[in-house]
Amino acid sequence: MPLANATESDIRDWCIEYLRKTVDNPSIAIGPDARFAELGLDSATSAYFIVELEEWLGAELRPELVFEYPTIAALAHFIADGQGGVADAAGG
Amino acid sequence: MPPAADRGLAIIAALPSLTALLRHRAAVQPDDRAYVALSDRGQEDSTVTFAELDRRAMALARQIAHRAFPGERALLLFPMGIECLVAFFGCLYAGVIAVPMMVPRRQTARDASTSILADCGPRLVLTTAELLSGARGDLTGRFQHAGLEWLAVDAPGEEDDATNPPLPEASREDIAFLQYTSGSTSAPKGVMVSHGNLLANLEMIRIACGNTRASTYVSWVPLYHDMGLILNALQALYVGALCVLLPALAFLQRPYLWLRAIHDYRAEVAGGPNFAFDLCVDRQRPEQLAGIDLSCWKLAFVGAEPVRAATIERFTASFRPYGFDPQAMWPGYGMAEATLLISGGDRGEGPVVRDVSRAGLLRHEAVPPRENTDAQPAVGCGRALAEEEIAIVDPETGTRLGPDRVGEIWASGPNVAQGYWQNAEATEATFHAQIAGEIDRQWLRTGDLGFLDEAGELFITGRIKDVIIIRGANHYPQDIEDTVQSSHPTMRRHAGAAFTIADEAKGEQLVVVQEVERTERHRIEPARLTAHIREAIVLEHDIVPYEIALLRPGALPKTTSGKIQRARARQLWLTGALERL
Repeated sequence: MPLANATESDIRDWCIEYLRKTVDNPSIAIGPDARFAELGLDSATSAYFIVELEEWLGAELRPELVFEYPTIAALAHFIADGQGGVADAAGG
Repeated sequence: MPPAADRGLAIIAALPSLTALLRHRAAVQPDDRAYVALSDRGQEDSTVTFAELDRRAMALARQIAHRAFPGERALLLFPMGIECLVAFFGCLYAGVIAVPMMVPRRQTARDASTSILADCGPRLVLTTAELLSGARGDLTGRFQHAGLEWLAVDAPGEEDDATNPPLPEASREDIAFLQYTSGSTSAPKGVMVSHGNLLANLEMIRIACGNTRASTYVSWVPLYHDMGLILNALQALYVGALCVLLPALAFLQRPYLWLRAIHDYRAEVAGGPNFAFDLCVDRQRPEQLAGIDLSCWKLAFVGAEPVRAATIERFTASFRPYGFDPQAMWPGYGMAEATLLISGGDRGEGPVVRDVSRAGLLRHEAVPPRENTDAQPAVGCGRALAEEEIAIVDPETGTRLGPDRVGEIWASGPNVAQGYWQNAEATEATFHAQIAGEIDRQWLRTGDLGFLDEAGELFITGRIKDVIIIRGANHYPQDIEDTVQSSHPTMRRHAGAAFTIADEAKGEQLVVVQEVERTERHRIEPARLTAHIREAIVLEHDIVPYEIALLRPGALPKTTSGKIQRARARQLWLTGALERL
């Protein structure tokens, strides 16, 4: 369900929920400050994570964001800050 | 078959080189599209006809010839696209040996590129203007080598000196390119593939796949991967068909883009490693697939890693409603050392799946299962190709084994490559094997285990070489072990093992076991240590470990000379007998 004006904490919560389901390993704690690589997100999983996040947000996201902002907290902050853009997705 | 096609085939069969092939295509179908490159979102981005490709490759060859002598090497660093193929043929026209490489991931501190550089000593790096000066300015820093020159193939050229050095005419014996998919990060092995090897394997593939000019391809497999370059891009050129190129990232993010492109271009041929078919099933959404008609898809090749019966079933079940023909599924087997393809079936035969006894396989025999719990599905990978022979050989004694006996897979034919670049020892061991009692032939030792049935169908059952294959890419246990041991001071050096286990649902999975020091100074929570190791493996190798086990010092079995016994460690892990921290 895309959110037009997601707040930083909305985005953080969504990411935690999504990664909990994706990582699917109870011994790995999904926290806002854990680095994606520590959680076991390789390039294929990261690529799809970004796609799902894009769709939920309704905004285009560069796949490289996962490497430039490698924690849930950093990524959520960057996106909410408006530089990633929470405007409507441009035509593909 | 109409006579014109026969004549065409006869001409192709007599070609002396891959460049002669391109010239032939440019002459007989100059304005046909050779390649179409799609963007990250699956939109048509650029296209090139056979004549244009030939012209651009020749022009680049003159630039290359100003900078490198025939026989020198050029690294090719390209995103998926037409520039890579222009560069490849440019090298071939200049007689310079092409070395396609993956663009190193930004976050990888150490990867194979440095050692590949050291191994083949290139004169040039060919790349795009964007990679060179834009997005990846870090690349020139990574590639330090005396006299190395960078050339962007799509930059507006400075006028070179008007005297054009003559371009050599390639022959079948000449090395066209080096494939570095074998060997560890520290000791890479470059397979030397000649023009003759390529033409032979391309002809074998044409026959097995039944490809014609109408066999449009849609491919996302990277061009630095042998399957992407040879089975897709070069095979399409070989038969004069259109090849549509999709970036791998686009496929990973949106697998339906691949399926949509197959529909749009009415492609006949498309495939990839086993995981790609699982991904299509896992990510499928009806709204994205609405209206897609896959009935044009005649050959869905699957290989580069063990082919799983469950994957074939799921994919077929999911996409049959969209017109996918189950008989199109085409498992194949090969490796860079054999140029690419070693075995494949005929187009439209459909996969051969046999249930064999697990217990029997442990005894190196393929026999029917005694009961359900003893049954294991074995997927056939086709038969030996035209002019090629496959033998199953006892790896200890070198004796040929009969049908339904499990042994090492050996291959012999004009597709077997020339050897490893400047590595006489490895070349001798791998490429010059002889079967006991048969002195007239040399064989390639694949390091894979399998059996041939009475009909000559090849089944892969395991491997003796120490390589881990995940998502169709080779990884070496020693590289992963080194990453783990370098990740934290508490990791005991030379006291770890990386191996794979077969998970029922997920297939081959990486397990890492590592002895940890227990000293006062390094008191650290196991969960943090495990997270640390996981991060290092993901960043260095782009693999997610299935399990990481921290062990007490001395828990791992060693030989008398102190080397870790990986196979034994794996056995102990499987039975839960390793002493954890």
